[in-house]
Amino acid sequence: MSNKLQPKDLINLGLFTVLYFVIGCCVAIPVGFVPIFLPVLGALWSLVTGIPFMLFLTRVKKFGMVTIMGFLSGLLMGLTGMGFWGVPMGVIFGFLGDLILKSGGYKSAKKSLIGYAVFSLWMMGTYIPMYFMVEDSWANFAASFGEEYADKVMAAMPMWSMALVTGGIFVFAILGGLLGKAILKKHFAKTGIV
Amino acid sequence: MIRLEHVTFSYGEDGAQGGGVQNINLNIETGQCIVLCGESGCGKTTITRLINGLIPHYYEGKMCGEVWVNGAKVSVQPLYDTARIVGSVFQNPRSQFFNVDTTSEITFGCENLGQPAQSIRERLEKTVQDFRLKQLMGRNIFQLSGGEKQKIASAGVSMMAPDVIVLDEPSSNLDAAAILDLRATLAAWKSQGKTIVVSEHRLYYLQGIADRFIYMAAGQVKKEYSAEEFEQLTAQQRADMGLRTYRLEDLLSPKALQPATKQMALRHFCFAYKNASQTLCLRDCNIPANGIVGIIGNNGAGKSTFSRCFCGLENHCGKVIWNGQSYRPKDRLNTCYMVMQDVNHQLFTETVLDEVLISMADASREAAEKILADLDLTEVIDRHPMSLSGGQKQRVAIASAIASKRAILFFDEPTSGLDYLHMKEVANVLRQVRDRGMSVYVITHDLELILDCCTDIIHFESGTIIDQFPMDGAGLEKIRSYFINKKIINAPK
Amino acid sequence: MNGVSFSASIDKRKGITLDPRTKLLLLLTVTTLMLSTSNEGLMTFVKPCLSLVPFLLILSERRVKTAGKYLLLYAVCFLLERIALTTLSGLLSFTVLALTSIMTRFAPGIMTGAWLISSTTVSEFIGAMERMHITEKIIIPLSVIFRFFPTISEEYQAIRDAMKMRGIRFGGKNLLLMVEYRLVPLMVSVVKIGDELSAAALTRGMGAPIKRTNLCRIGFRFQDGVVLLFCSVCVGLFLCQQFMML
Repeated sequence: MSNKLQPKDLINLGLFTVLYFVIGCCVAIPVGFVPIFLPVLGALWSLVTGIPFMLFLTRVKKFGMVTIMGFLSGLLMGLTGMGFWGVPMGVIFGFLGDLILKSGGYKSAKKSLIGYAVFSLWMMGTYIPMYFMVEDSWANFAASFGEEYADKVMAAMPMWSMALVTGGIFVFAILGGLLGKAILKKHFAKTGIV
Repeated sequence: MIRLEHVTFSYGEDGAQGGGVQNINLNIETGQCIVLCGESGCGKTTITRLINGLIPHYYEGKMCGEVWVNGAKVSVQPLYDTARIVGSVFQNPRSQFFNVDTTSEITFGCENLGQPAQSIRERLEKTVQDFRLKQLMGRNIFQLSGGEKQKIASAGVSMMAPDVIVLDEPSSNLDAAAILDLRATLAAWKSQGKTIVVSEHRLYYLQGIADRFIYMAAGQVKKEYSAEEFEQLTAQQRADMGLRTYRLEDLLSPKALQPATKQMALRHFCFAYKNASQTLCLRDCNIPANGIVGIIGNNGAGKSTFSRCFCGLENHCGKVIWNGQSYRPKDRLNTCYMVMQDVNHQLFTETVLDEVLISMADASREAAEKILADLDLTEVIDRHPMSLSGGQKQRVAIASAIASKRAILFFDEPTSGLDYLHMKEVANVLRQVRDRGMSVYVITHDLELILDCCTDIIHFESGTIIDQFPMDGAGLEKIRSYFINKKIINAPK
Repeated sequence: MNGVSFSASIDKRKGITLDPRTKLLLLLTVTTLMLSTSNEGLMTFVKPCLSLVPFLLILSERRVKTAGKYLLLYAVCFLLERIALTTLSGLLSFTVLALTSIMTRFAPGIMTGAWLISSTTVSEFIGAMERMHITEKIIIPLSVIFRFFPTISEEYQAIRDAMKMRGIRFGGKNLLLMVEYRLVPLMVSVVKIGDELSAAALTRGMGAPIKRTNLCRIGFRFQDGVVLLFCSVCVGLFLCQQFMML
């Protein structure tokens, strides 16, 4: 088999992207309705989508597939009206994920976990609009709570929470990857679809 | 002209999975219609894949020998070149369309090959006329019936105007009317001089179209028959070979079956899906209980809706009165169980034993093992359910229904795509389940299954029961008029 | 899930016809400007204009009810937002703001996205991508994605039915087990369908190294120009404001 992406690989790519996206949305949509849960949304997403992603990795082992998946996930996010920030983010983190996976020859278990976790960081793209919004809300917060206090919170809040959300996604992605691998071993290895 | 020379193939990396075929030599003349028959796993599907090039270009494995189609070596040339000369129709109508709308699906192949838009449009118009597809154009494929999907697939193949057409068990998921449609399509192709290769279990609809039958077993060609020779085989000979019936009339001998003796009453069985007109409307009526009741009727007659409502899957639909007790939909969820057509959906756990254990109110390993032993599943008790064969999966689903003490079992097309022996196996299991005292209802288009084990028939049409009868002499006549003396409604020219 | 499926036919279509590329640009403009800018200066005027976009689009399809519902929802949230900003204070103000600002910012984008999808066939969308010279490495997976949305929803419904028949206690309160029971059969059958689909598509010439024909007639018309102008004005005003703030 050549290293170029064949039509079969591209179909698999589409198949797993849609599984990845739909399974992620099944978690995200009910949770997303409650604003205070928004910060943990990315973490939950990457936890659950570890299952389809690990199955995906057993099927297509060529460079570029994670990059394309990132692009497509971002595009889908955009089409559902959540803003197109996911597209560049998806390409960047997908590409990084691809590099990490390739360095492990698309076989190393450790690299596949890290690769998946890095790829998952594309979710930060969906938070970009939230940050604009938060900024906006805080401006109003300032009016209600006094400017000095709000300024202090503002100064600390975005950067600090950004790091927390990023870290959350990364850690939960690792857990999700482990979960995916466990389910892979428990079910898919025995059913012959791996 | 198709030529297979000393072809051997086994699946999996380095042929590790086995299966496949050994040392096949086959010549198929241009314009002939060849039927590949034999039990499941005999290698007939593999031959179709060799001809359309999916082997070795898609399915991995170890191959020797060569395959030629009209002078082109399909075992070597890329798939998109083979696509110009060989068209393929597959078994599962749900998984062979790539587009969401029908029009794009029909033109898909031609678009892929980069044919000029104007010529595609012209051919589309002609194909729509020939296949009488006007009603189906611009529709969402997900809303079509299996037969309609299969017709769209055939039209898509026709559009590409290949010289050779291979079909892999195309009738598996079709009802009696759609099978006649398929027959008409094949006849049309034949009259256009196309070479046709069909791998099939159901043989009756190929009468008068097939020129040659190739009987395969264990990956080898066992015997070839001309159409006349095949015709002269007795029904018993064909059954011994593990083949389905060739003449439906052969089947119509009365059997000593014990019809249902009890009845259950249905009240207010009316149901409409969201944004759709009513699909089911049953006035208060009685239906046979404690038998094996075949549910027949064309696609869209309301059979599946009825079974869904009966099993309690749709809330708020009707009441069942049985043994003096009244069952609302919620009660029926615990009383009935449906073995789905795609049984993969209802197997959840890691092992067959677990599957039974989690269905029990108080799990007992002994009781579970007993149930599994009765259904001939002892050997696979520790296997993953999804790794089993289709028939075994069905039986695991039945085992879990027995374990959860259901009294009524529904089967949705349990024999679609099964060969003679496996069909017989299903019939035996149905009888066994009935002997346990359960009431069995089978939605089916399979005449052989009906005649083998059904004790009673319910006939649905346009959302209501138009007839019900026991399978006695008069019943046989009715069955005959439904299955055999049917008119072709939408035949392509 | 059925709500997000692409349109199946161009014959029965009502409403304004736009090139899919124009639709994408419109969606891009609406979501980016609605989501990524603050409510100051010129944007106070631009934003309500942008939020009227999906209303007009849906109205042009004569889906009066849907358009009305959207307008009502948007108006209520918009008003509440203003009230929260001006008269309320403290925690209450913050809560109301958090809820309404999510609605006012996301709803227009989501509605425009839904309109884009329901008013475009997959072939048109793919055709537009081909016109933009996007590689088939993107186009093929993308068409698979659109085809599998309804498949996943079908499969999932079947699995839900199967679970329902097995009883409510099935899987119990074990969250992990509940996820597993749903995802494993779903993934097994979707992957199986995908394998068969690949085979079928390949026998129909997919992936041939030639320029694919697309039967859809797409191209820019007068109305595309109007939308284009609207988008550039909105973006222009936004940039103008950014410039002034510097």
